[in-house]
Amino acid sequence: MAELSTLARPYAKAAFEYADQAGQLQGWSDSLAIAGAVAEQPNVVKLLASPTYTAKQQAAVLVEICGDALSAAGQNFLAVLSEHRRLQLLPEISRQFEILKANREKAVDVEVISAQLLTDDQQQQLSDALSAKLERKVNMQVRLDKSLLGGAVIRAGDTVIDGSIRGRLAKLAESLHS
Amino acid sequence: MQQLNPSEISEIIKSRIDNLNVSSEAQNEGTIVSVSDGIIRIHGLADVMYGEMIEFDGGVYGMALNLERDSVGAVVLGDYQTLAEGQKARCTGRVLEVPVGPELEGRVVDALGNPIDGKGAINAALTDPLEKVAPGVIDRQSVDQPVQIGLKAIDAMVPIGRGQRELIIGDRQIGKTAIAVDAIINQKGSGIKCIYVAIGQKASSVAAVVRKLEEHGAMEHTIVVAATASDPAAMQYLAPFAGCTMGEYYRDRGQDALIIYDDLTKQAWAYRQISLLLKRPPGREAYPGDVFYLHSRLLERAARVNPNYVEKFTNGEVKGKTGSLTALPVIETQAGDVSAFVPTNVISITDGQIFLEADMFNAGVRPAMNAGVSVSRVGGAAQTKIIKKLSGGIRTALAQYRELAAFSQFASDLDEATKAQLDHGQRVTELMKQKQYSPQSIAELGLMLYAADNGYLKTVEVNKIGDFEAAVLSYMKAEHSDLMKQINDSGSYNDDIAAGFKAALDKFVSTQTW
Repeated sequence: MAELSTLARPYAKAAFEYADQAGQLQGWSDSLAIAGAVAEQPNVVKLLASPTYTAKQQAAVLVEICGDALSAAGQNFLAVLSEHRRLQLLPEISRQFEILKANREKAVDVEVISAQLLTDDQQQQLSDALSAKLERKVNMQVRLDKSLLGGAVIRAGDTVIDGSIRGRLAKLAESLHS
Repeated sequence: MQQLNPSEISEIIKSRIDNLNVSSEAQNEGTIVSVSDGIIRIHGLADVMYGEMIEFDGGVYGMALNLERDSVGAVVLGDYQTLAEGQKARCTGRVLEVPVGPELEGRVVDALGNPIDGKGAINAALTDPLEKVAPGVIDRQSVDQPVQIGLKAIDAMVPIGRGQRELIIGDRQIGKTAIAVDAIINQKGSGIKCIYVAIGQKASSVAAVVRKLEEHGAMEHTIVVAATASDPAAMQYLAPFAGCTMGEYYRDRGQDALIIYDDLTKQAWAYRQISLLLKRPPGREAYPGDVFYLHSRLLERAARVNPNYVEKFTNGEVKGKTGSLTALPVIETQAGDVSAFVPTNVISITDGQIFLEADMFNAGVRPAMNAGVSVSRVGGAAQTKIIKKLSGGIRTALAQYRELAAFSQFASDLDEATKAQLDHGQRVTELMKQKQYSPQSIAELGLMLYAADNGYLKTVEVNKIGDFEAAVLSYMKAEHSDLMKQINDSGSYNDDIAAGFKAALDKFVSTQTW
């Protein structure tokens, strides 16, 4: 079985390129986010999996729920998806669209998990340092996790910088074991 | 009560804490998506290399084998019970390495070089990657020095040279491992280091081999790499490469080593299992497409390298010495079927094969080597002079004997010449039998070949040949040990030696009994 992300890739790419050409990146991003959220609702999931509705009916229901959030092009996109019975991919498509958009805007989502609350000053410093290192605009989200004991873990996509006391202790434990 | 390890001294711990590098570097991380039969799928890990070690939680390591667009397929090296979906996996930036060097001699290790013989840690100074590229064309030298196996049938008819790959092939339970173990025992004092790689065997069989090697004092120059039947398939797949890396240590430093892969059929099975679980497309006999490359890249690393290569490798420390790694891969056939996939592959890769036959084994010919089908494509150039000179008649005698024996079953009246040939063939067949764990030197082999060639066996009853041989050899040991020593040292053959043999045998035949 191919993975969801593999299936979603061509759709996300097509949607992104279309939106980019039309200069409507933000609009598409918003409507895909809404459509994705709708498609994740348990009731909608059930509807999309149900064989008693035709693909057209499913698309129609989705379009109706999303209402004004979808442009005409967006409705067409849903129609294409429904033709291939890929409406379940909407959340994944939305995620990949965001990644493509972030790449285009040279932005990156960074999650910072720290043991203590960071002051605004610290956050600013961290954000500057990270954007210098990653050469990207940094959208930082800060989370608190006391179990780190001290320091912070920074996560940007696949890249992880572990500067926490917990991580260092684990390293130390391993080096003593070996 | 729990015991303290030698490494638990406060000072050592203190220095290790001091030396620990705690700088936080950016690491590549992924999430485990699925765990099944030792195969892990990981989402993320965008920067992973092929064959890179992957670290999981709890100090478990894996190796990346499939790099796909959205996921990475990896095998776990060790226990995968603790792993679960959602856990993190981290790149390490290292490829798999094993310890190498003289510290390993006399030890039993697993496929990753960890000791499993309970004799404590191996403090090897060096490690080397498992997968390395074989020496190229200009680094090589042709095979011209012998490896004495110590078995009459092999040394006389399928001689093996240093750097050669000679396949041992046959059904189960007909003495493949016995030949390998005899070969190791006979390297005692020859300076050739041995590596015995046990793949997919019963742990009890491995223990038995180790015990036999210890009993015969052959463990000092031997490394045993064991991936037993209960080890994960990944370890069975990697064990031959680990052993090969340990053997290359000697080859690259101008020394000689002998490696035995026992057996590659099981390695191919393990690799097939991994490949199918990784969803690589199955081919013939469900083996993956690269099963030929699996064995060819392994066996290409067994080679003889020239002094330039050795000098370059050691930065000029070792000069004017060639290095070699001789490989004896073992392949198990099913009911003598050599046309199955893996046997044909390995036959075509190696420089010859020793073919063991169930019929001969059951008829009491041990080692059960079929002299007609067994060949050595390069070993002839490496044979010592005396054996080369004297063994010429043996092969033809046996070949003619086989032909006549089949034919004479139907014939009632045979002429004298035919009868003589049959007689001779019978005696040579009998002479080629040899007990396990009793390797023979060049001089002993040369003497017996001389005796067979010059008709000394004619007067001996066929079922007494073994006794005759034992008696002659003990007589020679007692009376002519200087002659035997001279031959063993030089390996040459001339009229003096022939005269010495003749005189000794004449005297023995006229005076001794057996």
